[in-house]
Amino acid sequence: MTRRSVTFSREQIAAYAEASGDHNPIHLDDEFARSVGLPGVIAHGMLQMGLLSTVAAEAAGGPGHLRRLSLRFAGMVVPGDTVTFHAEPAGQGRLELTAVNQKGEAVLTKATADFVP
Amino acid sequence: MGVAAVAGKVYPAVRFEIQHDRVAQFARAIGADPADGVPPTFAAVYSLGVTAPHLFMDEEAGVDFAHLLHAEQEFEWQRHPDVGETVVSRGRVASDSSRRGIRFVTFETDTSDARGAPVCRSRALFVIRS
Repeated sequence: MTRRSVTFSREQIAAYAEASGDHNPIHLDDEFARSVGLPGVIAHGMLQMGLLSTVAAEAAGGPGHLRRLSLRFAGMVVPGDTVTFHAEPAGQGRLELTAVNQKGEAVLTKATADFVP
Repeated sequence: MGVAAVAGKVYPAVRFEIQHDRVAQFARAIGADPADGVPPTFAAVYSLGVTAPHLFMDEEAGVDFAHLLHAEQEFEWQRHPDVGETVVSRGRVASDSSRRGIRFVTFETDTSDARGAPVCRSRALFVIRS
């Protein structure tokens, strides 16, 4: 079992925007985010997936062992939220993954990974 | 603006050089160790990231970006690329359907290496509410 808790910050979301090239203003500009019905800026789903992948990689024996990663983006993550990412073996070469916020809500669902030894 | 279903549409190939500094910056942003090489989900950049703009800017596809939600994502890797490699990615619309005013677009990207050997397949489900 591998687990990692991350409290999201604006700085981290901005750093991911810079690193990934995804500069959608819903991740960077509160006023814009509110104009499209969001509570304010939200984290990239792909940032959540990136964080989850580090937990999956650790459980798999290293990032080079991962062969597949899939998930559903089920909930928003806003600055200040703490998400716990978790990986658990589920048979030969398979991991079941979860990402749950501080309220107990799953923010990523149907998350699994396959790996090779 | 009318919206056409564009299932089967293939977009042009995009070359992308996997540069050390970009990889290190990405690794730090997700709390990975840059010494571990190219993070698996850097595919968000070299595969999905370089090809999705073709779909979003395709007037025929008419994807309303303001109402687009990235609902699901899958990456499958044959291997992980190395820093310094140039990879080639090509996006296509695998499926495009609407139900009760909600449009579902599956966008697949195949990434291969300089010799044409497969590296990664990205499968993104976009949900667009009209």
